Amino acid sequence: MLATLGHLRPALVSTALSKKLVGAKIGDARLVREGEDDQKAFTLIDSFDNQIGAADMALIATKNDLVLIAPDTAVARQDFAAPDFVDHMPEGPVTAKLGKIVNPLRRLLVRAEGTVSCQMLKMVDDLDKTVARCRVHSFVPESGTAACMIEFMPLRGYDEEMDQLTAFVASLGEPLGTVGDIARALRGPGADYTSKPVIAMTPDQTSFHVATDIIRAQIAVARANEPGVIEDIDSEFLHDYRVALRRTRSVISLFKGVFTEDQTQQFKDRFGSLMARTGQLRDLDVHLLDRQAYLELVPPALQPGIDKLFDSLAADRGAAHAKLARFFNGQAYLREMDKLEKLFAAPKRITKGPEAERPALAFAQALIWKRYVKVCKIAGLIDDGTADEQVHDLRIHCKKLRYLIEFFAPLFGKKDTKVILKSLKTLQDNLGAFNDYSVQQEALAGMLDRLCAGNSKDAIEIATSIGALVTVLHQKQTEERARVVASFTAFNSEKTSARFRKSFKPGKTAA
Amino acid sequence: MTVIASYSNKGGVGKTASAVNIAYCLAKEGHRVLLCDLDPQGASSFYFRVKPSKKLKGDRFFTDVKRFTDAIRGSDFDNLDILPANTEFRDFDVFLARMKRSQSRLKKALKSVGNDYDFIVLDCPPNISTLSENVFKASDAIVVPVIPTTLSERTFEQLVDFFKEHRLERKKILAFFSMAQATKKLHGETMRRMRKQHAKRFLDVTIPFSTDVEKMGIHRAPVGSFSASHEAASAYRKLSKEVAKKA
Ligand SMILES: Nc1ncnc2c1ncn2[C@@H]1O[C@H](COP(=O)(O)OP(=O)(O)OP(=O)(O)O)[C@@H](O)[C@H]1O
Ligand SMILES: [Mg+2]
Repeated sequence: MLATLGHLRPALVSTALSKKLVGAKIGDARLVREGEDDQKAFTLIDSFDNQIGAADMALIATKNDLVLIAPDTAVARQDFAAPDFVDHMPEGPVTAKLGKIVNPLRRLLVRAEGTVSCQMLKMVDDLDKTVARCRVHSFVPESGTAACMIEFMPLRGYDEEMDQLTAFVASLGEPLGTVGDIARALRGPGADYTSKPVIAMTPDQTSFHVATDIIRAQIAVARANEPGVIEDIDSEFLHDYRVALRRTRSVISLFKGVFTEDQTQQFKDRFGSLMARTGQLRDLDVHLLDRQAYLELVPPALQPGIDKLFDSLAADRGAAHAKLARFFNGQAYLREMDKLEKLFAAPKRITKGPEAERPALAFAQALIWKRYVKVCKIAGLIDDGTADEQVHDLRIHCKKLRYLIEFFAPLFGKKDTKVILKSLKTLQDNLGAFNDYSVQQEALAGMLDRLCAGNSKDAIEIATSIGALVTVLHQKQTEERARVVASFTAFNSEKTSARFRKSFKPGKTAA
Repeated sequence: MTVIASYSNKGGVGKTASAVNIAYCLAKEGHRVLLCDLDPQGASSFYFRVKPSKKLKGDRFFTDVKRFTDAIRGSDFDNLDILPANTEFRDFDVFLARMKRSQSRLKKALKSVGNDYDFIVLDCPPNISTLSENVFKASDAIVVPVIPTTLSERTFEQLVDFFKEHRLERKKILAFFSMAQATKKLHGETMRRMRKQHAKRFLDVTIPFSTDVEKMGIHRAPVGSFSASHEAASAYRKLSKEVAKKA
C-alpha cells in the first residue's frame, strides 16, 4: 500500500471501542491487531477561545509531532514545536492550515493534556491479505472526558472493503461526534470560552431581566480574560475584556429607563472606572500591533525613527502592563468584581426604572427603530463638505445601533439580523477606519509633544518620522472620508430599510 | 519513474522471485513501487495474496488507462502496490501488440499512474520472445536471472545478440546469477567464465540457491518479510540496491 495518512472519522466513544473491534468478523474478513499498542503523552492545543475547535479541527501535539485533524481530509503533520502565535511557529503543513483559521493576534496554548494510545488494526480476507486498516486513537485527558478517534487508512484498490469497515464501525452503535466535539470533550467543561456568549431570551421577558442577563454574561466574559491579561498571553485578552465592559456600559446607557437614573449613574461610574484602568495598555497594544504597518507607510530613510519610537512604546507598554496586572491582582479590584458579580447574579438590590417591566421584544423594537431613524437622519445631512464631528457622530450612532441589534438578536430571526448586521458592517468599517486614522494622528501628535520635552538627537529623528507618518495617515483619513457618503448610500437601500421595518417596526407600512 | 523488467528468455530461472523481492526491498527503502504481474499464471500476485482482478477484460485492459489504474491493489507492505495478473488477459504479447508497437505507449500508460511511483517492476512471463523488444525499449533496466549452467550460457548469449541485432541498449541488461550453488563445481566455473566474457553485463551480487526462496510459496510473502536475517534476504537487498543504482 502507499503510505497515506488516512482520513479520520472521529467517534466520541468509550475507550472500549478498540476491544469491540479486535477479532470482529466482517463478512469473510476479520479485524486483527497489527503491532503493539503505542502509548504516549499528548496535549490538545488551541487558542483561549478555541478557534481551532470552532473550525471543527483538533491540534494534537505529542513528543515529536504536531498533528492537525480535520474532518474528511488527510491529517496534516509536522515536527513538534511549542504552541505560540501561528506566525512564530515553524512553517509546515500544519501551520499553513492553522494560518487560515487562527487569528494572528491569538497565541496558541495547551488546552488539555493526557495520554493517547494508538492501536493499529487490519482487516484481513480469507487469504490473510490485508484489505483495510484503521488506527484507533484513544485519548485519556487528565481532566475532561476521554474520547477516541478512528483513523481509517484505505488501501488502494480495496474501496469496498473500506466501506464495509466503516459501516461496521458505525453499526457498533457508539455515538459519533465531530472533530470539534472530540476537542470539546478533551478540554472538558469550563474551557469553552467565547467572547460572544449567546444569551437566551424570550419576547415577553422583561427588559430588566434581559438587561441583567446580558450584563451578568458580560461580567463573566471580562473575568474569564483576567488571567490571560495578567499572564500577558496575547493582546486579545485585554481586548475581549474591554469589549465585555463596553457592552455592559452600552446596556446601561442604551436600555433607557430600565434602571433608575441614580442606579444608572452609579453603574456608569463603576464600570467606567474599571474601563479607565485598561485604556493606556490597550492604546499601547494597538500602536504596537501597527508597528509593521506604520513602518511600511514611511520611506526607508525615516524607518529607523519609527523603530526607535516603537522601542520606547514597547518599554512604556511593559510598565503599563505591570501596573494593570497589579491592579487586577489587588484586593480593591477583586472585591469590586465580586460585588458586581453577586449583584447581577441576584439582581434584587438593583433599583428598577420606569421601563423595567416592559416586554423585551417591544422594548427592543422601539430602541432599535429609534436609533436606526437617527442614523439615517444624521447620515442624510452628511455630504462631502460636512464637518468631521458629524461623521464621528454618525460612527457612534452606528455602533450603538449595532450593539442594540446584537444584544437583542435572539429575539429576531437569525438570518434577518445577520443580513442587517452585514449591511451595517460595510458602513461601520468605513467609519471605523476614518476614526482610527484620526485617533492615530492624535496619538502621534501627543507623542511628539512628549518628545519635545526631551530634545535629544533621537528625539529629532523620531519627530521627523512622526511628521511623515502623520502626513500619510491624514491622507488615508481623507480617502476614507471621501467614501462615507457612498457607504451610507449603499447601506440606505430600499431593501435594507424594508428589512429594518419588517423586524423592528412591524405593522406600519411607512415610517 | 524507473521501469525495471525482470526478464529471461528462459523459464523457471527466478524472474518472479527477483521481481517480488526487488519490489519489496525497494519499497522497504522508502521508494514507492508498483509491481506489475504480467504473467497470466499470477505467480507474483500469489506471493502477495492478491486475488486476480475479476473486473478486467483482456481486450481493453491496457488501452484504457483508467482500467489499468483501477486494477491496482495495495499490498500488505508500505509503499508497495500490485497490479495483479489478469486471467482474462491471456498473454503478454497481446498487450504489447495493443501498444501498437510504439515503444512509448507502455511508458505513457505507466506514467499515467507515474505520479505515484518511483519504480515500476515488471514480472515478465516466460516465452515472450517475439515481442520482447517492446519491453526492452520501455524499461530502464532489464534484470536477467541466470542459473550458472552451460545451457543458460547459450540462452544468455542469444539475448545479448538480440540486443545487438536490434540496436537495443545493451547496458540496460543487468544480469545476475540466480540459484547459484557454491558446492557445484560446474556453477563456479560457469560463473567465472561468464563474468569474464560479459564483464559489463553482470552485477556483483549472486543470489544463492536457498530454501528460504522456496518457502516464499508457503508464506506467500517476500523473503525479507519472514526471514530478513538470512542469506537470501540480504542477497536480494543487495540486488535491489545495485539495480536501483544502475537503472
Ligand atoms: N534462489 C532460489 N533458491 C531456491 N529456489 C529458488 C530460487 N529462486 C527461485 N527458486 C524457485 O524456483 C522456481 C522458479 O522460480 P520463479 O518462479 O521465480 O522463476 P520464473 O523465472 O519466474 O519462472 P517462470 O518462467 O515460470 O515465470 C520456484 O519454485 C522458486 O521457488
Ligand atoms: Mg515467473
